[in-house]
Amino acid sequence: MSAESAFDVILESVRPWVSGSPVAAGNRLDMETGADRLVPAVTALTGLKWGYLSAITGLDSGPASDGHIEILYHFCRGASVATLRVKIPRDSPEVPSIGAVVPPAYLYERELAETMGVRVAGLPERGRQWLSDDWPENVYPLRKDFTMESADAPGPVAPLVGSSDPPGTFIIPIGPQHPALKEPGHFELAVDGEIVTHASIRLGYVHRGIEKGAEDRSWVHNIYLMERICGICSHIHATAYVLGVESLAGVAVPPRAQAVRTVFCEMERIHSHLLWLGVAAHQAGFETLFMYSWRDRETIMDLLEEMSGNRVNYSVNLLGGVKNDIDGAAADSVRRGLDYLERRTRHYLKIVTSDESFLRRTRGVGAITAEQADLLGTVGPTARASGVSRDLRVEAPYLSYPDFPVRPVLDTRCDLEARFVVRINELFESYRLVREILGRLPAGDLATAAPRKVPEGEVISRVEAPRGELFYYLRSTGGVKPDRVKVRTPSLCNWAAILSVAVGHKLADIPMIMVGIDPCFSCSDRMITVRRRGSGRTSTDQWSWEDLRQYGIDYYAAGRV
Amino acid sequence: MRRLQEMLDSTALWSRINSPWLVHFNSGSCNGCDIEILATLAPRYDLERFGVKLEGSPRHADVLICTGPVTRLARDRLLRTWEQMPVPKFVIAVGSCSITGGAFHGCYNIVGDIGDVIPVDVYVPGCPPRPEAIIDGVVQLLTKLKASAPARARTHGPAREPDGQPAPESGGGEP
Repeated sequence: MSAESAFDVILESVRPWVSGSPVAAGNRLDMETGADRLVPAVTALTGLKWGYLSAITGLDSGPASDGHIEILYHFCRGASVATLRVKIPRDSPEVPSIGAVVPPAYLYERELAETMGVRVAGLPERGRQWLSDDWPENVYPLRKDFTMESADAPGPVAPLVGSSDPPGTFIIPIGPQHPALKEPGHFELAVDGEIVTHASIRLGYVHRGIEKGAEDRSWVHNIYLMERICGICSHIHATAYVLGVESLAGVAVPPRAQAVRTVFCEMERIHSHLLWLGVAAHQAGFETLFMYSWRDRETIMDLLEEMSGNRVNYSVNLLGGVKNDIDGAAADSVRRGLDYLERRTRHYLKIVTSDESFLRRTRGVGAITAEQADLLGTVGPTARASGVSRDLRVEAPYLSYPDFPVRPVLDTRCDLEARFVVRINELFESYRLVREILGRLPAGDLATAAPRKVPEGEVISRVEAPRGELFYYLRSTGGVKPDRVKVRTPSLCNWAAILSVAVGHKLADIPMIMVGIDPCFSCSDRMITVRRRGSGRTSTDQWSWEDLRQYGIDYYAAGRV
Repeated sequence: MRRLQEMLDSTALWSRINSPWLVHFNSGSCNGCDIEILATLAPRYDLERFGVKLEGSPRHADVLICTGPVTRLARDRLLRTWEQMPVPKFVIAVGSCSITGGAFHGCYNIVGDIGDVIPVDVYVPGCPPRPEAIIDGVVQLLTKLKASAPARARTHGPAREPDGQPAPESGGGEP
């Protein structure tokens, strides 16, 4: 179905709730609606089973007298993006929650409430999510009139949300500093014997404020900031950003540069999937596989270093092209490296599908059905392991993917084993792609000039990161700095699904289930979500950090005497 | 009695130098440094062959290896992890962010670098530093430790108070 005819279908059913004339341009459809008509409009859209909610972006017009906040609800299907836009007054911003219709919306709405100061009616009450507990009240970092000084004064420490579990519920707290966690996050798992009855997560420990930081940096500086959103998938973040800026500025990037970017994207996927294989094996207690896969991963790290000069954060992208070429010698090293890795990967595929003790940890564990995966908005290998075909390299090819088509890797078994098999099979696909691109690398320039100022406008840039769809929304007002950069990372989409399926599993399976989505805290650090079995509410006395710290000191001081 | 104490101290120092245990804490890093620390422990670089072990609990660790700038929420946790470690304790700050805030300098949720919160013994620059540089950082610390004998000098709390707060009576006590 072409984008236009798909949009006709949408307009037919959403029209009654849309004001003004909808704008369809290219693969985008923008429809204005009001806060009072939002829920019926979203219900009509989801009733069509058209796409999934990909992100919610908040835009602040600034503190003018007629200031307003605009909220964009982006629904995506393949290459097409349908956006519902709601404008609300800045002094009393309120929208209804659409979480009852689209469950993943709760995450994005919570982010909107905390950073933009939008009251979302119907959003379940929770404590602070990703701003710190002592963040002052009524200070919203993504508002245009936010100043660093306004955040300096620590506000009253936000009360911890009292446990709503029945008295006697045993809660296991994990993190933020914990041997099983390589990155900080805080989990609370309520257990009934060995069975988990509720799982919740508090992130925000590595929330740095990058979206706001981007507004203070120039278009060029931001490439390097975006790279550092995540040290594992740094190149794909920079790629999504530069693709967006280039499309805003109308810069035509030479085909060789696009091909070099694609090679780096695929090599990054190889390094990320091998890294994940090791960490996942480590969580299963399979240390040998961890060590082997990390040993082999060094092959790809060496190649990345040979091609770019750095092992991590390769910094290949420029606005308008790339810095590094791939010459014949480098291409030969890559081919040799990939030959070795392909042999090893075949071995790993055999292990994860035949090792009896390993299969007991993966087969039939942590199943996410196709319906759940679709409803909860999962992306990337997590969705593909549940039979939901979501891969932007296939559906909306960018860079050199139109010339080098990707074969999607799907599995319908939905469990942890499927997630292993999908990622390992994707490795083979990446090896094939890199070889093909290196064999037919287009000739020509590596970069073309890009303007320092980017023309006014907005753009959505979506790419397939190793963990799934990465969504960027960029807006320019014609200056040297962006007006708004919104990033929605794949891990954020997958958390909701995983906390839902965790309930009912054995505690010992939880690390494996968590790692199954390849979570990335530094990417997704922006939310909390809770899923409970049973209800009831009691209040318990909470100790402050100071109380706990003093208790610890006294305890150990007494022990010494 | 004094001779016995000196002997015990020198034995403790000898064992600490030959097998320092590390606890890792990420206070806002992008992951880049963290995966390089893990790569340092993986077979290619194999830091364990020098007796270095990554330990899960701060109560059993000698060295806190920190990555990233310090975010507003992680600051308290970093301090808490550091306070839980037995004295003498040492801190290695890995990566540009842990030295100056790096690329995130000036972002609203960053309260500073590692040195603003806890005293740091060794800084390892890089974005991220190569595993060899991280190994070198550990070696620098051990060299410093060897020169610091007698060990008693460091058993009475930190050289610098963390973050202007009074030093705890005992951060955990000698093992």
